[in-house]
Amino acid sequence: MKPDFLRGIRFTDLTWAGAGPFGTKVFSDFGAEVLKIESMSRPDPVRRGGPFRDGVAGTNRSGYFASRNTGKKSISLDLKNPDGHAIALKLIEQSDVVSNNFGPGAMERLGLTYDEVRAVKPDIIYLSMPMYGEAGPLSTLLGVGMTIAAVTGMMWMTGYGNGEKPLGPGTHYPDHAANPYHAAFAVLAALRHRRHTGKGMKIDLSQVESTANFMGASILEASQTNAEPEHPGNRSRSDAPHNVFRCAGEDAWCAVTVETDGEWLALAAAIGRQDLAARPDLRQSAGRLAARDELEVAVTGWCAHHSATNAAGLLQTAGVPAARVASSRDLVEEDPQLAARGYWQHVDHPEMGPALFTSPPFRIDGERVELARPPLFGEHTEEVLSGLLGMSRDEIAMLAERKILA
Amino acid sequence: MTDQFRPYSGIRILDTTHDLGRYATRLFADLGAEVIRIEPPGGLPDRARDTAAKPGGAEAFAFFNASKQSLVLDLTGNEGRARLADLAREAQIVVMERGGPLVEADIAWLRGLNPTSIIAFISPYGLGGPLEAAPASDLTLQAAGGIAWMTGRGDEPPLRLPGGQSAMITSVYAGAAIAVSLFDAETHGKGHILDISAQEAIAHSLQNAIQVWDLERRVSHRAGEGTRDASENIYPCLDGHVFLASPPTTGVSWKSLLAWMRELNHPSAVPFSDEKWLSRPYRSTPAARAEFQPIFEAFAKDFTRKELVDNALKRRIVMAPVARVRDVLDDEQLVWRDYFVPMGEGGARFPGAPYRLSEPVWAVTPAPALGQHNSKL
Repeated sequence: MKPDFLRGIRFTDLTWAGAGPFGTKVFSDFGAEVLKIESMSRPDPVRRGGPFRDGVAGTNRSGYFASRNTGKKSISLDLKNPDGHAIALKLIEQSDVVSNNFGPGAMERLGLTYDEVRAVKPDIIYLSMPMYGEAGPLSTLLGVGMTIAAVTGMMWMTGYGNGEKPLGPGTHYPDHAANPYHAAFAVLAALRHRRHTGKGMKIDLSQVESTANFMGASILEASQTNAEPEHPGNRSRSDAPHNVFRCAGEDAWCAVTVETDGEWLALAAAIGRQDLAARPDLRQSAGRLAARDELEVAVTGWCAHHSATNAAGLLQTAGVPAARVASSRDLVEEDPQLAARGYWQHVDHPEMGPALFTSPPFRIDGERVELARPPLFGEHTEEVLSGLLGMSRDEIAMLAERKILA
Repeated sequence: MTDQFRPYSGIRILDTTHDLGRYATRLFADLGAEVIRIEPPGGLPDRARDTAAKPGGAEAFAFFNASKQSLVLDLTGNEGRARLADLAREAQIVVMERGGPLVEADIAWLRGLNPTSIIAFISPYGLGGPLEAAPASDLTLQAAGGIAWMTGRGDEPPLRLPGGQSAMITSVYAGAAIAVSLFDAETHGKGHILDISAQEAIAHSLQNAIQVWDLERRVSHRAGEGTRDASENIYPCLDGHVFLASPPTTGVSWKSLLAWMRELNHPSAVPFSDEKWLSRPYRSTPAARAEFQPIFEAFAKDFTRKELVDNALKRRIVMAPVARVRDVLDDEQLVWRDYFVPMGEGGARFPGAPYRLSEPVWAVTPAPALGQHNSKL
């Protein structure tokens, strides 16, 4: 389906890079008109970052950009020029939401603070998402997703355990779930609030505070116990075996977990270790935890004789939580579950050709949300300036000549 | 707060989530929805699982079920089902999770009772497909969704993210999907059924790995080959660790770091002055990473985290302390912004709102005891 759930909702969207655009994509995918304001004087870094179709760089060839900006309209506009600024305010006058993920002070410099925006659109919903909040002793610390993971304890807790040096997530993880989706949830809440009260609001999303909630249970534990929560890596703090095991083949791995007595008996039977199943000291989690090393050796021995896919399949059938550790290639090329549920979409694009996209991760009324392709740089400038703002072709040409639309 | 309209005032959610979906319904509860855990006489599965008998168990229960209510209904009997039917006729949203007292077959029943409601079913692999019923856990979902592959050391096993991230990811996607569906239901008077897969949610949050494979046929790997700049790493310092991201393309981060080293006449400035460190292709090789590590370590080791961060602020270098979890509670900026909320016994510091709203509409209350709201409801 091509949902129109948000038809009539318009964004003037100043977000760029990863976290901001991923959040506003929720709205364009559901039928809102998201006007992405861009400028080549400071291009969106993900347009510059790859991957690119066939490895050939180009403003409209980035898969990273594409995956964050489906269904949006691109308006090229230099906000630092007074006429560009005036156009932005006219767009905002006809918008429901203004969104940005700049650092502190940037919206002041652009003359687009909450108060300045509210002056032209009193019921605006104003989303700001700087790293650490807009003011305060560390507000000007520069951040990327990994710095957010660093200050929230997430990086510290990502490791193999045993007290060794932390490794941290392999991606800028906070950019790809916590921050975009908390932001989208807040804007949706603000839209319902406005519908009932007529009032807009400002959403001040500190990406650190947002991500700290993704560590919420651990932070609460540290607070309650005044002790550092143990980070067990792939292991469990309360049961065993529970780990990632090497399988037959190159760089092939299977996750296997036991968290109940029933799963333990199923696992012991599936790997042909009735001797272990019979042992009274292993019937409960405390005993299994004490025998962790021995149990891991048993599972390791069994996994070594199976491919990751077979190991996972045999254990799942036996009632043991297990899964092949899938790479991006495995997911796209070989995952039967994602394929059966129609997770992958190919969307055609004038410069990238047909490109692969993940669907929003749910089916709605039995269907997938069909994605519309991401915009070329400045693709909708003329359409929006003439259609929405009623500007003449001559006026637009004049602005273009003065490099305000570049 | 009582007279204030909150974003989800007037919304009742019947909730049988117990793991993957609990944070989704909490997001609604904190913004004014009446979220009712529908619990069997022995409680939803998390009552037995997340207890003080397990390290971190009690805190997980308190965090994920804050602001909710609890109603005990025995859905194996006619009386309990009749009572649920009465509630479902009036509820705008039902959120269920595989392994709870409401099952897939109940979706049609609930839809019949209330054609305008949002009915969400959250499960590890989604409905349908060969793995619909496959057993799963946080670790196996992080494996199946592709995120474990991307974390860890290259020569060692893939590594999961900490703190039950499969549930966090699933819940924020579920929360947004339910909210957008509710917005439509309230516009057009027609309900929606959502079938939310944790595996798909995780696979949707892999940075750009899917596109790297699709467009350039490269597999993003935990060893970081070809994806991370040589500087992007964790380094020990006097009293802990710092994270540094200093590629020449990120603002002044690299130039400024080098200038600082030269200012101090630090020997690490010499090798870093080599032109090869201005080359992006070189800096993305494993060899460059291995070379970078000891040179920067030699510099960082004589500073405290605070000294390094003060300089990062002053010099516009992308560098941050690697906080232990306990450090987060004393984070200068979080304390300055009054982030934590005192709650429960001894006024423990509870994580505050993920977003600060200009209207006073966010609030958190302690998780309910089993059946705490039986008489009220």
